[in-house]
Amino acid sequence: MLKVDNLTKVFNKNTINEKKALDQVSLHLSPGDFVTIIGSNGAGKSSLMNAVAGVFIPDSGEVVIDGINITNWAPHKRAGLISRVFQDPMSGTAASMTIEENLIMALKRGKKRSLRWALNKSKREYFCSELEKLGLGLENRLTTKVKLLSGGQRQALTLLMATLEEPKLLLLDEHTAALDPKTADKVIELTCRVAESSQLTTMMITHNLEQALSCGNRTIMMHEGRIILDIKGTERSNMTISRLLEMFNKASGVQMNNDRMMLAGTL
Amino acid sequence: MFSLKIAQGTLELGLMYAIMVLGVYLTFRVLNYADLTVEGSFTMGAATAAVLIINGTNPWLATLIAFFAGTIAGVFTGIFHTKFKITALLSGILTMTALYSINLRIMGKANISLLKTRTIFTDFQSLPFINADYAILLLSFITVFILGLLVYLFLNTEIGLALRATGDNELMIRSQGVNTDIMKILGLALSNGLVAFSGSYVAQKQLFADASMGIGMIVAGLASVIIGEVLIGTSSIGRAVIAVICGGIIYRFIIAIVLQLGLEATDLKLLTAIIVLIALVSPSIKSKVTALNPSGKVREE
Repeated sequence: MLKVDNLTKVFNKNTINEKKALDQVSLHLSPGDFVTIIGSNGAGKSSLMNAVAGVFIPDSGEVVIDGINITNWAPHKRAGLISRVFQDPMSGTAASMTIEENLIMALKRGKKRSLRWALNKSKREYFCSELEKLGLGLENRLTTKVKLLSGGQRQALTLLMATLEEPKLLLLDEHTAALDPKTADKVIELTCRVAESSQLTTMMITHNLEQALSCGNRTIMMHEGRIILDIKGTERSNMTISRLLEMFNKASGVQMNNDRMMLAGTL
Repeated sequence: MFSLKIAQGTLELGLMYAIMVLGVYLTFRVLNYADLTVEGSFTMGAATAAVLIINGTNPWLATLIAFFAGTIAGVFTGIFHTKFKITALLSGILTMTALYSINLRIMGKANISLLKTRTIFTDFQSLPFINADYAILLLSFITVFILGLLVYLFLNTEIGLALRATGDNELMIRSQGVNTDIMKILGLALSNGLVAFSGSYVAQKQLFADASMGIGMIVAGLASVIIGEVLIGTSSIGRAVIAVICGGIIYRFIIAIVLQLGLEATDLKLLTAIIVLIALVSPSIKSKVTALNPSGKVREE
């Protein structure tokens, strides 16, 4: 499904701020794999996701989806294969446009857009039934402008938009980090349900270790641009949060000093 | 006094300028892009149509060509901005400046008279069942109605939605697979096409094209957009389109009235700038006032 091979990216090359964001990273995902990605700040999690999404072109290595080498494709060209939910609830939706307008744009993700009238009755009915599944009452607010929704509602809508037209690969970049705990739980639950029911191949970055182990079927840990831990199957189901923290310390050879990770571990 | 004759003339001009305001709305509101190209493309439309007409081209065809001349100007601004990464304002200024020379080249001199030539209005007047006194008014109205409808329809198509989203949230619409560079170029092209179209109408009504007739056009356009939005509202696309058209007409009436009151024509630009300034500043003042006094009522001593 997704094949990431020997991906390397160095930012600010040959300057005092030189930073190796990705160091020969390789990762293979099978169809339906749901991998959670953890690691301290600057470990390369987001860089890995950005390279897959096409935000930057890697220095070396390649990204292949379903046998198609997309390493040098512009982000908008990859949209037919990949959909993405960002950390900021504001960035996934167009605020001045209505819920139904946002959904129709998502339905056309990666497809050719024409001069046809965008909305019609059957599409509205389809959106209603999909919005109903979110359980947020949005199905009655199709013509509400998105700027009037709360952060959690917007993020749930973004998630729906990302999966409405099934992508080959779903990228979730700490998509619950900006939400209050209760809403975050709801969005995570929704994420797991959607990904499972449509067997979506998914990559999810999280700082919450409990989430990392409870969601999906595989967990990788990154440190200094490399994958230092990759667990699945029984090894993963036997894993506890405290052991995960321990392994992190051992594998990386440094004492963990990331507050958010520590906090997530103790909760 | 403000006679009926002046009112009719003002309404005619207002309708023609409303076409320009529709163009400004497409960039300023839909794309969220302050496009100064308008200053040059308005003149370009007038110049192109005028030159073609005095050289014997069918005036309807000349008007259509003026539209396409404007779109080309918009495409240049779009390419400067998206491909060469020049800021929005500077891209517009570059095209606007270049167009000043180009327009003079097109015309060959600083102004062209269209007196006693065939125009779309003389053609329209000679149609049967058309009252010659109201021919200009009727044709302008029909044109604005059709163009307003087309803009409304376009903004509700799949491409139209992508254009609106480009102005709203580029990151989002790019991740939905839309090439936002193309969208911006498209928006700027359509906008400047409309502006040039408006210029060609105004030239044929006033019976001359002048190299400096576009000066101050962008601020007039912005003022019209803002006036319309404040008075009519923007709750939906249909409403916003009607608002900006009415804004264009109302703006012309404001200008006509202050001229009647004895203000010099040369003071108009200052007046327009003040209108836009007030309109731009008032929301922030309003929110400050509400913040100081959340109940919305005047506090009693």
